[in-house]
Amino acid sequence: MHTIIVVPPGRPDSQEHLTLATGERLVFGRSPADAPGRHQRLTIEHDGVSRIAGEILAQGTFWTLSNLNRDRTYVVENPEGGGEHIKVAPGRLDAPVPFEFARIVLPAAGDLLSFDVWAPRHDYLGADPRIPEGATTAAAFALDRTKRYFAVLVALCEPRLRDAPAHAPLPTADELVERLRPGWPAASRSTVQWNINYLAVKLRLAPAWPCPEPGARRNGMKESLVSLALRFDVVREDDLALLGPAVGAAR
Amino acid sequence: MSHPDEQPYAVPVPAGYRLGPWAVGTPLGAGGFGSVYTARREDDGQPADAALKFLPTGTQTPRRLRHLRELAEREIDLLSRVRAPRLIRLHEVRTVDDPSRPELDGATVLVLDRAESSLQDLLNGSPRPGRGPELLVEICEGLHQLHRAGWLHGDLKPANVLLMDDGSARLADFNLAAELEGTHAYSPMFSTPDYTPPETIWGDVAERGQRIRPTTDIWAFGVLAHLVLTGTLPLPGATPAARRDATVRYARGTEPLRLSPELPPDWRQIITDCLAPTHQERAPHDAASLLPRVRAAAEGAAAPRAPRAARPLRRALIALACAGALAAAGLGLHAASSKHPATTGSSPRSAPVALVGYDRCLKGNVCFFTEPDGNGRMCSWEGDETDWLGGASRCSWADQQVPRSVFNNGIGPEAGEPRVSLVYYAGEKLQDRIDCLPRDTRQNIDLARSPRSHVWTEHC
Repeated sequence: MHTIIVVPPGRPDSQEHLTLATGERLVFGRSPADAPGRHQRLTIEHDGVSRIAGEILAQGTFWTLSNLNRDRTYVVENPEGGGEHIKVAPGRLDAPVPFEFARIVLPAAGDLLSFDVWAPRHDYLGADPRIPEGATTAAAFALDRTKRYFAVLVALCEPRLRDAPAHAPLPTADELVERLRPGWPAASRSTVQWNINYLAVKLRLAPAWPCPEPGARRNGMKESLVSLALRFDVVREDDLALLGPAVGAAR
Repeated sequence: MSHPDEQPYAVPVPAGYRLGPWAVGTPLGAGGFGSVYTARREDDGQPADAALKFLPTGTQTPRRLRHLRELAEREIDLLSRVRAPRLIRLHEVRTVDDPSRPELDGATVLVLDRAESSLQDLLNGSPRPGRGPELLVEICEGLHQLHRAGWLHGDLKPANVLLMDDGSARLADFNLAAELEGTHAYSPMFSTPDYTPPETIWGDVAERGQRIRPTTDIWAFGVLAHLVLTGTLPLPGATPAARRDATVRYARGTEPLRLSPELPPDWRQIITDCLAPTHQERAPHDAASLLPRVRAAAEGAAAPRAPRAARPLRRALIALACAGALAAAGLGLHAASSKHPATTGSSPRSAPVALVGYDRCLKGNVCFFTEPDGNGRMCSWEGDETDWLGGASRCSWADQQVPRSVFNNGIGPEAGEPRVSLVYYAGEKLQDRIDCLPRDTRQNIDLARSPRSHVWTEHC
């Protein structure tokens, strides 16, 4: 039932993510255990960081940031947003953060330290353009079709959407990079893999991704993603337009 | 960002369109995966009137609506196999064969009982209908009939309860229904937020969908009953997202359930049981056990506490409180169902730290504990249970752990209960008697293996 995931610095694909449910707090800093009350902790070991530097509070599907430092401004970037960011002034409490992906940047004695916070349960309009009401039957997956992860999912599903046999092999990482590059010049194996991992979180295939090791099990995850996405029409034929015309001898 | 269709599932059918013996009349509604029209039969067959539900499954249907075929098949599968008085009846299934109308050609058409209106229509006009309790009995009957046949509804809400011309209620819209495989089914990943139980909000998903269980429908029934009786939803909030968050906070134990103060006590207890925060706590309250309680509440009679002997063996209720594990998970201490919270006078959820040891055993129950002196995990029963592992009211730990203490906190003749002593057995179905425990006895026990069944009796 968590809605917010905090990724400790330097541990992007481990199982050490911290998850927060509505109303839960996480205190970060050099010595977050000093903060009173019940909360989760993220220790950032750097002398330039305050003992209690800030607090994240999960609020439904989004989160708020309190800057508990009295001197320094924190910046929250949207890593996919082309420079989009917000500033959280010293001492500001409960500043709402609207990004699905966010990177909190802390200035610390000449260094810039950062860690990521995801809000994978953001709601999006489904097939019906009206604002959903509580009594309307709605699909359970809310994806932002403008995000890179959606393009990655479409590219993963492409062979099977184009009527390739159901057992056709899924695209390799290199093929995915090639396919996505026209719309996403910076695509690389690792960024594509990052998005695949995130999709598993997004589609709730797992509370956090289940396979810290590269290799065979990742293929299993790709298979699961594709079969879930196709089974429940998360990705449909007309989404292929997103990728541009099919290239090469693929089909 | 999204597919721009206005009404993705609407199927326009002109008035007077002929489909076999049926002449299409006026639209009754669109959405919910199809369009529904009135229809009148132009031969002498029966019924003379029907509702035709057109599902856009035709050859011209864009591939992106492919999942509709599966949803249509679910509904047809269920309706052609399950017939019960409180379920809307399927008379026939037709496929449109009309190449001159490509938008219709190939559509699946369900010929259904024609209803007068829906419960949603009724609530729109009068938020707390006088016939509400009566309708809830009929809805509960429908749920019972459906569950007994091995199906889940999956989308119980006022719009899916139809009212017939005699005013009676029938369950409808089985697109999301699922057949049980053992104890659970896979839902097709659509749901109605205000009627979704906490465990399926952002729950894990398997490749075949999300696992749902009969308790999913029981939760929805609790929400629906609260709405019908009070005019408000049980979880507070101005938007579906706010109510969803309130549901999550309630399920995590950070907020108590605050039902409307207008609810009469017997309804309050029923709704509280239906809205128990976890599947495990809801599980004892199946449709079969709710139905007599709902009937009694609707008749206005305070549900009488029938003596044990008057009810069948499987009346057993309540189990599965595992205080240690839940407290560790930050959920506070759930003692057990609060069906008869006479011991302390307060619900365990609103007094999360008050109950320890033997005190967790509610009046009227027998309780077994995994540790001496009423400590550890607890399983409790109000009635008899002939199979602790597979019966109606199971003990979640009995296949791994052996109870170390027991408390017979049963009621007695002063409350109309002649069977006051408890006999428990090593085998299921009351085989291999271990011991008999008089009323008000609490003691530590030393057993080689966990009991498997018990029965209340008049004398040891």
